[in-house]
Order: sequence, then C-alpha cells, then structure tokens
Amino acid sequence: MMGDRPSPPRAMSSAPTSSPSVDKVDGFSRKSVRKAKQKRSQSSSQFRSQGKPIELTPLPLLKDVPVPEQPELFLKKLQQCCTVFDFMDTLSDLKMKEYKRSTLNELVDYVTISRGYLTEQAYPEVVKMVSHNIFRTLPPSDSNEFDPEEDEPTLEASWPHLQLVYEFFIRFLESQEFQPSIAKKYIDQKFVLQLLELFDSEDPRERDYLKTVLHRIYGKFLGLRAFIRKQINNIFLRFVYETEHFNGVAELLEILGSIINGFALPLKAEHKQFLVKVLIPLHTVRSLSLFHAQLAYCIVQFLEKDPTLTEPVIRGLLKFWPKTCSQKEVMFLGELEEILDVIEPTQFVKIQEPLFKQISRCVSSPHFQVAERALYYWNNEYIMSLIEENSSVILPIMFASLYRISKEHWNPAIVALVYNVLKAFMEMNSTLFDELTATYKSDRQREKKKEKEREELWKKLEDLELKRGLRSDGIIPT
Amino acid sequence: MDAVRLMKELRVNYEQEVDFLPREAGLDLIVSAQQSGGQITARSRDVTVEDLWSLTSFFGYSTQSFVQAVSLLDRFLAMMRVQPKHLSCVSLSCLHLAARVTEEECDLTPADELIRIGQCRFTASDLGRMEKIVTEKLRFKSKAVTALTFLQLYHQITLTHATYRKETLSLEKLEAQLKACLCRIAFSKAKPSVLALALLRQEMKSLQSEDMLEISFHIQRHLKIPDAELQLWSEWVARRLSDYASPKCSKPNHRKLQWIVSRRTAQNLHSHRSVPELPTIPEGCWDESESEDSGEDVMSSGDESLCSSLGSDAEGPFFPLHLRRQYLAA
Repeated sequence: MMGDRPSPPRAMSSAPTSSPSVDKVDGFSRKSVRKAKQKRSQSSSQFRSQGKPIELTPLPLLKDVPVPEQPELFLKKLQQCCTVFDFMDTLSDLKMKEYKRSTLNELVDYVTISRGYLTEQAYPEVVKMVSHNIFRTLPPSDSNEFDPEEDEPTLEASWPHLQLVYEFFIRFLESQEFQPSIAKKYIDQKFVLQLLELFDSEDPRERDYLKTVLHRIYGKFLGLRAFIRKQINNIFLRFVYETEHFNGVAELLEILGSIINGFALPLKAEHKQFLVKVLIPLHTVRSLSLFHAQLAYCIVQFLEKDPTLTEPVIRGLLKFWPKTCSQKEVMFLGELEEILDVIEPTQFVKIQEPLFKQISRCVSSPHFQVAERALYYWNNEYIMSLIEENSSVILPIMFASLYRISKEHWNPAIVALVYNVLKAFMEMNSTLFDELTATYKSDRQREKKKEKEREELWKKLEDLELKRGLRSDGIIPT
Repeated sequence: MDAVRLMKELRVNYEQEVDFLPREAGLDLIVSAQQSGGQITARSRDVTVEDLWSLTSFFGYSTQSFVQAVSLLDRFLAMMRVQPKHLSCVSLSCLHLAARVTEEECDLTPADELIRIGQCRFTASDLGRMEKIVTEKLRFKSKAVTALTFLQLYHQITLTHATYRKETLSLEKLEAQLKACLCRIAFSKAKPSVLALALLRQEMKSLQSEDMLEISFHIQRHLKIPDAELQLWSEWVARRLSDYASPKCSKPNHRKLQWIVSRRTAQNLHSHRSVPELPTIPEGCWDESESEDSGEDVMSSGDESLCSSLGSDAEGPFFPLHLRRQYLAA
C-alpha cells in the first residue's frame, strides 16, 4: 500500500570536529570570515515514488454525511492521509496534495468541535497517520559549519501538510473525549522516542509544535513521565559531552520548566541529580545563547522550590565560569542576578566569599560590558541589602580591585560606576572602609618604596660594572 | 623636630587659628534653617561634605585637601547667603582650590573629570568662576590653620616624648576620625586646637595609655585650653565617633546616584524571566495510577542522597513491592 514505509532511526552525524576552511584567530574561529555558503536544497530521506502519480479517491465531506456514518468516514480519511507526498518535487501531484491538505484541514476542525466521534478504533488510526507523516529521518545539517546563531535554518518543505498534522494531533490530545487509558496502547515509549528525535529539526515551527505535543503527552500519560525525563537526560548529556549539536534544547528546556514548576516537595533525589549533573553542565556549551533564557528559568524555578540547592548551583556556575568568552560571561552575570533576586539570606552567607571573589574579577575585566554588568548589581536593592548585612566580609574582597580600576580602567563610564559602588560601600561601613583605604595606601607606598630600592640597586650595579670596566683595561664597555 | 621647636610652632598656630574660624552667626543661621525654607540646611551641608570626602578618597587626594576644602566651604557659607542649587558648585570649587595648593601637579584631577564623577549639573567654566568668587571673598592665599594642623603637631609631640608608642598612636586613624567629625556642621564651631586635642585624648583613652594622656595634659596646659571647653568637645567627639562606627541604615535624604549603562547592557537587563507559555504540570505523588505498569515506572528510591544513580532503568519495580504497599497504607 502506498505510504507504508518504515522510519529508520535518526542517523547521528559523525562529522569530524576540525574545519580547516574556517579562519581561526587565537584558536577561535572567526564568524565574520567565512566562505559564502551555497544554500543547499533540503534533502529528504523519505521514500520517493518512482514517478507514478498518486491517486486518492475523493471522499465526501464529513459535514455532508449523517452523524452515525461520520466515525467510519473519519477513519477512512485518516487512512488516506497516511499517504505522504514528495514536496521536493514541487510540480508533482499538485491536485492530490491540495486534496490532502483540505482533508487535513477538515480533520482539524472535526476533532475540535465534534462529539462522540472518538471510537476505540480511531486511536490506532490516528497514531498511524501521525507517525507516517512526521516520523522521518531528518536530513543532516550543513556539516558543522551551520551556526545556529547566525545562519538561516533550513525549513521543512512539506510544512503545508506537516503543520496540519501537528495541529490535528494536538487537538486530538486536548479533546474532551480523549482517554489516555486507551491511547497509551498506541502512544508508547517507542512513539515518544521517535518524537524526541524530531526535536533536532532545523525548522523552528516544527519544534514549536513538538514542544506542545510532548508537553501534552507528559501531562496526560503518567506512565510515560519517568521515561520521558530519562530520555531528555540522555539527549542533554549527549549534547553536552559528545556532540554539542542539538537544535531542540530550548524547547525541551521550556517543557522542563513547566515540569519543574510542578514538582512536589520535598524534591525527589532524581530531580536534584538532574539539576547538578545535567542542567549545570549545560552552561558549558558554546551555543548557550540559544537557550540560556530557558535554562536560567529552570534553574531559578529549582531554587524557588528548594532553597538549599542554592549552594551547589552557585558553586557549579562558579566552577564553569567562562574564561574566554565575554558574551557568555555577561549571560552568567545576568543569570546570577536572577538567582540572587530570590536567594535566602542564610544561603547567601554560605556562598558570599567565592561569589564576590568572582564578581571582583568581573568588575576588573577589561571587557567593559562584563565590568558594567557586574557593577550594576549595586543598583539592585535586594542585593544591596544583602551586601549591607555582610559588608564586613564583602567589602575587603571587593575593595582592592574597585580601587585599582578607579585609577586604571580605560573606560570612563566604568570609572563613574565604580564611584557609585565605592560611595555605597563608604556609607555602609565607614570605619571598615577607612581601615581598608589606609591599608591599601600603605601597601602601595611600600610597593613604591621597594620599586625605588630595586631601581637604585640596579643603578649601583651598573655603576660598579662601569668602574670595574674602566679599571681593568681602560676601555669603556659599550 | 625637637620638642621645644614643636611647642613653639604649636603656639604660633594657636594664635593664628582664630583667623580661620567661620563666622559663628553664619553657622547658626544654617543650623537653624528649615528644610522647606529654600536655604542651605545643616543636613544639606553635611551631605555635601560627605560627597567631598567621597571624591577626595576616590581621586586619591590627601586628607589635607579635604580639610582645607571644608574650611573654605564653612567659611564661605557662614559669610555669604548661598542658594541650595549652587551648593555643589561651591563645594566642588573649594575642593579644587584646596587640591591645587596641596597636591602635586601630576595628581590633580581636571575640572571636567571632577564634575563628571561628582554627577554635577554645571560646567567647568561655572566652576572656574565660582573658584574666583571664593578666592576673593575669603582672601584665600595659602593654607588655613585647621584641626589637622594641630593633630599632626600633637602627634609629633607625643612621639618625641614616647617614641616606643610609634606603632599604636596612628595618625591615619586620627585623620579618619577628624574627617568623620568634619562631616557634621556642629564641629565647625569648635576651635581647631580644641577639637584636635579632644580627638587625641579620645584615642589615647581607647588605647588606655596613661603616659600618653599625661602628654596631652601637658599640651593643654601649654596652650591654656580651659577644662570646660575641652570637656564639652570631648563629649561631642565621643558621641560622633560611636555613631560613625555603628552600622548605618540607608539614608532616605541622600541624592540617588545615577547609574548610566551602555545601550547593549540596558537591553539585556530587561529581558528577565519571561512568563512561560506552557502551563505547569503538577507532579503526581506516590500514585497507584502513576505506576500501573511497574515495568515502565521508575520512581526514585526515596533516599535523599545525591549519589543515587541518575534516572534508573525502566526495568522492574525500583521500590520493593512490600515496602511500597506499606508506604501507601500509611
């Protein structure tokens, strides 16, 4: 029968990591220097018909048929929609493609408004139709030169049909008549696994639909929840430690956000493990900017559920603090501020020392955006109140770098911000500030003195050398 | 410097200090002024002096510059009726003047930078004009005799008599305490020699050094400072220093500082946690329905250690059956 095809598992791209065609500066590839890429036409692993046109017998509209006959007609239409068309060939089967599109449209409406149409026989047919349409091996991406941040994604050519299939499936899942107890025979682990693989699609519209689909499935199929969580773990771990390639991280994180939000207290150990072993390491990936907002949301949700996780989270972030990527550093600072916005004072005290040591380094960064972002913490009222309570610990940590940058930083705006911060500290704890100023000054004077002594010592040695040279042979050394 | 010469210098300064006292009537006017009256109040003067100290500290000026600046400021304010909106200009010009006679040329901060960091609204030429006015009115030629002058002399005198105390009697600490006092207009009325002596004695008392206190008595007798006057100011100083050392709460009157950030950073600041589109999925508790097929279900073993394996395999019940039943029965 036409349209009956297997869906082989997604082939993992095993492309080599080195790309000699891209220029490298300081070991990091230059984004701006790339060869003009030819846009490759989207390939597809779908089976292509051998040139024989596909013929489907047009069926009557559902609304034109008496209600008792509708369920059977519904099944027939589902079966017809199992036929998959080749959109690579833009000219073939145009009439039939249009027929399928309008049929799918009709099915979407039917599922949304009808009552009593969902028989037990419908479930396997629905799942089969959806599977036939959406499960496919995704075409490989343009090797490793595809930059998700800059390049245009390759969109799915069969979207006119695909979109309607997703739309239909979502409404089916959300239908009042939908019964998970029946559906779970057909929407099983294998189905979910294939669904998850599709999250690697380059088409953002598809990923958006998949996000909704998986969200609904997670909500309704309690028996699949643990499996879904485990598979997402695997995807993320593979992403972080093996491939650094997966297009659907942001969408999966968004789903996780809604799951984390619903965690029961006390938090299960499994979830805490997930936070520490998966979510924190996700921060190390180069393409962090693509999903950072969703990741930060998940982290903060965790901390709002269980504040005792604050210390491992912050220590984890500090461990993975970016050392060469300033853009990432700014992201980390943003996330850290969001965490501090909800931190409990007792937790704050536990991590304040390593935290402010890092902030002290950020504030001294020659990259002005990093310095600026870090200094702006002092404009946050809640953070200020925490700093004020613990100024005797924090001020000594920050003092030296603040004072130094006030004299040395190249950026005048940064210098002005440092003034604000120093003034705030001065008012918080005047006596400590005076002490630190005095110590700093005397340290500087001691250094200057040492410097001078060293110079004089060298000069003396030079003079000695000269004298020696003159005495021995009368020739002045050059 | 030997003790005799120091004492002589002390006397000379003592005689000159009256020339540098601000007009008492003028100071009283400021102290009694109401907030709403459109005049400079004690509070606004104090805030300005604190700002001056922030700037002094920031630019690495010496305490001397600060003290000179405050002396100029107080004398000017006590003499002229200054509008509140001009206060920052006056104070900054005093600082600039003071720094010019105190600091090295290479350490001087240019007027524009002073104005920029101080977040002031006037221009460098405004500042220049104000400096001229201040110089004229106060007939400013050289450094004033201030409490710092005396403090430094007292310190030297004490050390000549008790050299082993060099480490403990810290001039820096005394200077910092003087600065704390100068930030309150009440102390502008005190004679510098008396104020300095009060500070000295306070520090000596805290060090519990009887022999140093003996030296301070010696100085008092030499300058013929009346006991009552010294006592009065000692009390004020003690109170001020204890306030200064106590944890401060936020000041509502303080002018809020401007935080100017670049456009890029400003954009990123407001992309806070966006409201998620997906509705929350509540987690089921130990639910029979959640583990209908024990082969599929994987629950955590219930132990809270973070060492348990990540997401167990979907094979076999994780939680021993008899215990699970027990749990559900509870």
